[in-house]
Amino acid sequence: MSSTRAASSTPEGGSRPAVIGFDTATEDTAVCAARRGEVLYESQLGLSEKGSPLHTTALLEEVDRAATAAGGWEAIEAIAVGVGPGSFTGLRVGLSTARALGLSCEMPVRGVCTLDALGRGLGQVAGGASRLAVIDAKRGEAFAALYTANGERLWEPLVDSPSGLAERVGALGENPVGAGSGAVRFRDELASRGVEIPDDVDPVHRVAARHICALATSGQSDDESGPVAPIYLRPPDAQRWRERDTSQAGR
Amino acid sequence: MLILAIETSCDDTCVAVVDGSRILANTISSQTAHAHFGGVVPEVAARHHLDLAVPVVEAALAEAGVSLDDVEAIAVTTGPGLIGALLVGVSTAKAIAAPRRLPLIPVNHLQGHVAANFLDPDPLQPPFLCLVASGGHTLLGAVRDRFGHEVLGQTLDDAAGEAFDKVARLLGLGYPGGPALERLAAEGDPEAFELPVAMSREPGLNFSFSGLKTALVYLCRDLGPDGVQERRADLAASFQAAAVGQLVAKLRRALKKGDWEAVALGGGVAANGSLREAVAALCRQQGLRLKLVAPELCTDNAAMIASAARFAPHLPYPDYLSYDAFATGEAPVVA
Ligand SMILES: [Zn+2]
Repeated sequence: MSSTRAASSTPEGGSRPAVIGFDTATEDTAVCAARRGEVLYESQLGLSEKGSPLHTTALLEEVDRAATAAGGWEAIEAIAVGVGPGSFTGLRVGLSTARALGLSCEMPVRGVCTLDALGRGLGQVAGGASRLAVIDAKRGEAFAALYTANGERLWEPLVDSPSGLAERVGALGENPVGAGSGAVRFRDELASRGVEIPDDVDPVHRVAARHICALATSGQSDDESGPVAPIYLRPPDAQRWRERDTSQAGR
Repeated sequence: MLILAIETSCDDTCVAVVDGSRILANTISSQTAHAHFGGVVPEVAARHHLDLAVPVVEAALAEAGVSLDDVEAIAVTTGPGLIGALLVGVSTAKAIAAPRRLPLIPVNHLQGHVAANFLDPDPLQPPFLCLVASGGHTLLGAVRDRFGHEVLGQTLDDAAGEAFDKVARLLGLGYPGGPALERLAAEGDPEAFELPVAMSREPGLNFSFSGLKTALVYLCRDLGPDGVQERRADLAASFQAAAVGQLVAKLRRALKKGDWEAVALGGGVAANGSLREAVAALCRQQGLRLKLVAPELCTDNAAMIASAARFAPHLPYPDYLSYDAFATGEAPVVA
């Protein structure tokens, strides 16, 4: 489940600044260093042998490699990070890493919606169809966003049940091409409403960090002056904890 | 050595800058969202830590009057604690350290509480016996040097402070209820109700507070809402006497087993006047030096983490890039 592509070009100095982008919103740990559209380093690690994400162990190691491939930290001008929606824990590892790198190197941190990155990746296979990016939100739900054939966002990121999502798609009156862990997971529901979904093993289903870099440099990132923030879309399970706590108090 | 330390094991986002035993900044950003839920909600805590980690680092550096260029090592709490909360601190610490090629110093939170004693002013030199009672832990440790501690006893269920908070809530005092419970207890009779001083007949030095809490739950049930309202102060006083009684009984027993000259009292519950007085009386009686950790170093803070870091192994760059809080978060404390 893992692949690493080493840089093909030679690292250069700070005169041609590069961007490091990464995403940990899904079970993958995706990292890329790019300079003006040229990919200098890219990796995409899946799950460990025990079946857990490698975010905590592999992210900084991969970022370090990416920085080296780009010619060292002096050659990096910005950090780009996938802000979800996705795994809460994964997002926090990614965002706290990004913010701390920004502080340590005094460089800007740009947030990119993870669904946007999937949507951009879909451009390679969608042709003239609209693009549906879907991430498995666990607990039987999906995070999704819809884009035009040109990549413009039609739906803001949302969380819904597979049937709710299928209904939304059914109301479109056209058949989008879908990708992402949620498209694979809820293939039957979505396909029944005409969503075309490539084979499970197609790389289009996984977040590639080159798209995080590209979206961050093309200005399609979270450009507000405040710190980058995760897109959670769901409140914390505080209510559940509250109930549990109350029952414990009477134990 | 100038150390920047980050502590996010529970609900406070803490960052400190410490130079040797001298504290240059000890910044704590407390989360208030949890009061609504009557306890710390892990997901809420983790979200706040993410929002606060970098701003609190910046605030601590500013308060210390230094920049990251002056910092020689990054220390971070790696456990025990809430794993989602710890992860934010560990990810932040690693990512500040790596581009600067600074060493990373993983610190055990409990050793942090012990190491609060090594800070200015009035640092305490080992050997000493250390009692740490807080909302997260109850620890009786033998401190023979500055590198670690031997766990002589710890709680088998609830932490002491956790029991105070739960009983406070039972008496309608809100969360966190320790200080309110102490105020209420001052008006009551500590002998009004006979409550079990748990574990007093068992050998060993471990603590247990859940039986005491349960005894109080039954007592409240028998009294009924009106009865509880009427006897709140007596209930609070009786509970506090039993809880403090257990802590002091174990401390006394531990003192008997060794040749100690000094006792250190720390953790959030050390703010409780009744506990301080009881421990002070015991130390007077036995001719021991008592070190009461300063209040701002009793509750969770990062200065104590920096203090422990001075005597902990430093991981050089790049050895910590793949460092995982998940793997070490619950590691036992080794002396
Ligand atoms: Zn603590």
